Amino acid sequence: MLTISKKQEDNHMLLLLDGQVDASNSVELDEAIHEVVGQGHKKILVDGSELAYISSAGLGVFMSYLEEFEEQGIHFLIYGLSEKVANVFHILGLDQLITIKSSKEEALETIHEA
Amino acid sequence: MVLYMIKFPNINIGRILILVTVLTWLGLLFVDLLRLFGTVNRMNLGIAHEITWTLEIIFFVLVYLFYSRSIERSEQNNFIQLIWRAASTGLIVIGVAFLIRVFYILLDDTRLSTDPLLGNFFYHVNFGLTTLFLISCSLLWKKLILYQKNKNTVQQWQIYEVMLLVSMFYVYFNQNTFDFTFLFGLVFLLIFGVIISVNLKWIPYLTFKDKWKSILFFVIILITTSFLFMQSLSHQSHHAEINLMDNLFLMGLFGFVFVYSLFSFLVTLFNLPTSSVFEQKLTEAINFQKLSQSIQPGQSETQVLDILVDSCMSAAYADAAWLEIVDEENQLQILHQRFVTNMDRKEIKALMDKNKVFSSFLSLRKPSATDHVNSGVEHDLYKSALVVPIWVNKSLLGYLFLLKEVKNGFNKEMLNIVTTFVGQASISVENHRLLNEAIKNERYKEELKIAQRVQRSLLPSALHHNSHFDIFGFSEAADEVGGDYYETYQFDENRFALIIGDVSGKGLSAAFNMSQMKGVFHSLVQLDLSPKEFLSKANNALSSCLAKNLFITTTYYLIDTAKATITFCRAGHCPTLYYDSKAGEAGYITLEGMGLGILRSDKYPEYLHEKTIHYQPGDILVMYTDGIIESKDQNGEEFGYERLKEVLNTYKDQSPEKIKNHLIQAVYEFVGEAALPDDDYSLMVLKFLEQH
Repeated sequence: MLTISKKQEDNHMLLLLDGQVDASNSVELDEAIHEVVGQGHKKILVDGSELAYISSAGLGVFMSYLEEFEEQGIHFLIYGLSEKVANVFHILGLDQLITIKSSKEEALETIHEA
Repeated sequence: MVLYMIKFPNINIGRILILVTVLTWLGLLFVDLLRLFGTVNRMNLGIAHEITWTLEIIFFVLVYLFYSRSIERSEQNNFIQLIWRAASTGLIVIGVAFLIRVFYILLDDTRLSTDPLLGNFFYHVNFGLTTLFLISCSLLWKKLILYQKNKNTVQQWQIYEVMLLVSMFYVYFNQNTFDFTFLFGLVFLLIFGVIISVNLKWIPYLTFKDKWKSILFFVIILITTSFLFMQSLSHQSHHAEINLMDNLFLMGLFGFVFVYSLFSFLVTLFNLPTSSVFEQKLTEAINFQKLSQSIQPGQSETQVLDILVDSCMSAAYADAAWLEIVDEENQLQILHQRFVTNMDRKEIKALMDKNKVFSSFLSLRKPSATDHVNSGVEHDLYKSALVVPIWVNKSLLGYLFLLKEVKNGFNKEMLNIVTTFVGQASISVENHRLLNEAIKNERYKEELKIAQRVQRSLLPSALHHNSHFDIFGFSEAADEVGGDYYETYQFDENRFALIIGDVSGKGLSAAFNMSQMKGVFHSLVQLDLSPKEFLSKANNALSSCLAKNLFITTTYYLIDTAKATITFCRAGHCPTLYYDSKAGEAGYITLEGMGLGILRSDKYPEYLHEKTIHYQPGDILVMYTDGIIESKDQNGEEFGYERLKEVLNTYKDQSPEKIKNHLIQAVYEFVGEAALPDDDYSLMVLKFLEQH
């Protein structure tokens, strides 16, 4: 079960993920990111505090947008991940390519600096 | 020998019967001729009447047996043939009687015409033929009566037969006199004959044409019976002592044959107007059966729809019909059309579009409570129309249109039948589709089995090692096929390569990617590269192979037993679990490294890190995939890294095989009996051995 909500804030777009991302609903995550990118947002934050679990299908979705983020100069950050989920990103090495911060404040700070 | 002998009598019984019957008849004739001779010549020959009566009874019984057998063995079993047989016998008998009359007319006033002996001869001929006619008719009626057998009818007939048998012997009692008891017996027989004659259940099954034929035949039979009866009465007056016809048996049969023929004639006549309804019902039942026969997989749905249109047209006596089906673009296409021109059809459709009743019904795309629309149309030719939608599995297949040239042409009966037919047709179509689905699924399952066999052959059957270490592996896929992979390779007597990998996802697509990984391993391993170089090149190779959102995690190890080193590189895979015998404890080796396929450029090697460790005998290397770590118990708790480590710590002194078994056991016990594996499990346990 996954719920994705979008919120336009100050100077960035916020995606809130609630639940689990697996093979059955990873396409929803894909569609959400696709929509936000299509709308031309250059600063995208993902709130992962309610994200309980992410499977390889979900990780694959993030992975597939890396090139596009780089090409279009999009700042993409994930924050608030639980230790377990953050560990998954770390083991895979995805945290080397996607900026992962522990809190929203840190994430906003990073964007400002950019 | 025995079989031959049993067969023998069968052929001849018929012939023997005929022979004996004819002999009996001749006997009767002879006795009566003799008697007559005596009377004429005023001699008292003292021939007892009992002889005649006995011969008469034997004659009746023989004729009865003959016809019983003949009718039983006859191939002609349909009603009209049976009735014709009776009628034709009657015609023959009448014909002969007629010929005799003609003969006498020709003889006119000659001496021969008044010869009593000749007269007696012809009397016997008529007697014989009358008996044949009456008994054969009765047995044919028996077949008609017992057409729809039930216990009652059979009992009735059996009683009647017994009564007839008794009546044969009655002549012994009344001495051939017409007394009160005779009359009583006759009335009794007649009443019972009437009761039995009510069994006319075969009549509705005749077609209209056959009914007319049977009416004709019964008229013939009635005329024959009446004529023969009159003839028998007229003979009474001439020669009182020669009297065969006054037998109660024959009288009873006269009555029975006549009554049954009369009833059949009347009932058939009165059934003529309604016979078309019965035939219609029969046709409907047959059509229903045709519709419900499942369509063979090779055939198409259109054949059922074809039968549907024809059946509905005939059931509703429609003047025209057509069937439209919904195609892929949600438009209506004409599939079948009967007796209506394209122009008329389009006109009627246009009229329906304008008519609210029709147009609102035709725009429904979901099944509703009303399953048809029946209303008038203002067309020059067609005055009433019936539209029935065909729903298959809640989606619209199409519409059936029926037209009639009269107003309010569709009555309730027709609506019922048509909607029933449509319902049955949609069931047949649905079954046909389900059958095709099932066949497709079977094919898919077969292909999956083949993939499974191929994939199982991709995992190694034996793991390379030398005397310095032992290694055991385990793998189980969640679905029929899985995405885990491990393998070993031996460069020389001291150097080995080990790899464990996990393709993202599971099932068929993961298995395909796994076989690609195996190909990459077998190609690159020959180059004897360092782990970091190996994984860099592997990343290049797989970048072109893998789909955009897929990645592979792997760890690649090089073991040198001469130097006692392990050099390895981790590409996004679960951290290696290592038991250090010196430290006496197991722990996870931390090493940075990104998974394969995540960064598909030459920047990838920057994210790979290589490590070398020296091992001691007793050290244990446990390589595994994340399916083991993430397996959940009934409460949703994960097995986790800690538990894996604990089990290794517990069984560190045992052989790698036993350690592998303990680890697997621990996972299965944790997950519980009922749970199905959610992900693939793979495991390799390597233990370095003491050297002597």
